[in-house]
Amino acid sequence: MNVDLLGDGSGHAHTLHDRTLGDRIRAAMATVDDPEYPGISIVDLGLLESIDVRPDGDVAIGLVPTFSGCPALTMIADDVRAAVAAVDGVAGSRVDVRWLTGPAWTVERLTAEARRTMATEFTVAVRIGHGPVPCPRCGGDTVEESMFGPSRCRAVHVCRSCTEVVEVMRA
Amino acid sequence: MGRTWESMDAFEAFLDDGGIVEVDDDMPDAYRRAVFAFIEMHANSELMGGLTERDWIPRTPGLRHKMAVLAKTQDEIGHGHLLYMVAADMGCKTRREMIEDLFAGKSKFHNVFHYRAKTWGDQVAISFLVDAAALASQQAVFKNCSYGPYRRILKRIISEEGFHMRMGEERMMLIAEGTDLQRTMFQQSLDDWWWPALQLFGPDSKPDDVLLRWHIKSERNEVLRARWVQKFAPLLISYGFTIPDPDLVHDPGADTWTAGPIDWEPLKRTLAMDGPDSTRRIADAAANWADTRWVREAMDTAPERTAGAIA
Repeated sequence: MNVDLLGDGSGHAHTLHDRTLGDRIRAAMATVDDPEYPGISIVDLGLLESIDVRPDGDVAIGLVPTFSGCPALTMIADDVRAAVAAVDGVAGSRVDVRWLTGPAWTVERLTAEARRTMATEFTVAVRIGHGPVPCPRCGGDTVEESMFGPSRCRAVHVCRSCTEVVEVMRA
Repeated sequence: MGRTWESMDAFEAFLDDGGIVEVDDDMPDAYRRAVFAFIEMHANSELMGGLTERDWIPRTPGLRHKMAVLAKTQDEIGHGHLLYMVAADMGCKTRREMIEDLFAGKSKFHNVFHYRAKTWGDQVAISFLVDAAALASQQAVFKNCSYGPYRRILKRIISEEGFHMRMGEERMMLIAEGTDLQRTMFQQSLDDWWWPALQLFGPDSKPDDVLLRWHIKSERNEVLRARWVQKFAPLLISYGFTIPDPDLVHDPGADTWTAGPIDWEPLKRTLAMDGPDSTRRIADAAANWADTRWVREAMDTAPERTAGAIA
């Protein structure tokens, strides 16, 4: 049975024999936060690509990294495996967590919730398209100071209006 | 222009009420200088720490840990970059002046970066013990920091340092469960780094410490230090290591661990740029700055990019 398990309308096919079990797995994964963004779940970051529950009960999780050299991959996979293994109905089954090589992660995969938390809690903006990136603090235009900040998935900008130093997440 | 205050009393009342100072506020000069010096030292420490981390990229065992060290180097340098920007916005010194003062030995950075990391065991001790000490002091600043731009940058820095801590913990457990040779190496590192990590918190806070009064720090040095000992002494002992403090006291009733008297001379020497590795470290950082001059020049002379062209 194929269902839109991600609830993202993406049309990704997910093979499922137990819709409720899949929902519970997804809910468990939504409790796993990104190690560098406490409070933002990896599901809201758009890392979850697929959940497959096989007839024998084994679970296969497919994740996509924001960038392939990310040092947190093992940690995230461990956290996901632990969260999924604790789901009612999974106990005793094999949980296989894999980092997929495709599709590539893009900023469009971030949910509105993730973008909001990044802006309000972390003063981090998200670059969508090619226009100027608005300051998460005052809404003014920002200008790029450096292509790279503390991570390869983020640039450093300065707000022209309030001079805030802003990190900008981009694909 | 931002807000103004009629007197220091009015400003302090604003801070006591939980007020947050922004960059365009007309803050008292003494406050501006104190906050600036604090952020400048933090920025310097991130830069010096990042350069130490960089030295270990080719020597880190295993691809996974090598990736982590590579990313951590970028993290630390990136944090330094953000902090230098926030500090420069305060108008006390330009970024160039801060860098020049650092290389001239005129401004401070954390004591732990005045020592040399000689073995992988030292790197594990740094990422486990020293990073935890640094994180504890940053958290104490962040919790109640009255200077807005610094507080917001700290939130992101702390989240990333928390991730480094988890990596450090994993490395420590690997080495603790390793061969006799690995355990001996880590015990040596513990002997070398335990005291510098403790000294990082600084001597007991003075009653008139302006950093506390102006809500830049929210906890006293001795409280943070005691909490760190309380956490790490029993943990390391449970892994079979020996804490290099003959006067460490365990009160089994209250289950508290208290460190013996601390010799502050080594800390004073690092503050005077006279630590065991101060001269080499500063010269190395300055040489790196000179080596990368062509990159900065290329950036300065390049025609302005269209936004998003390189995204």
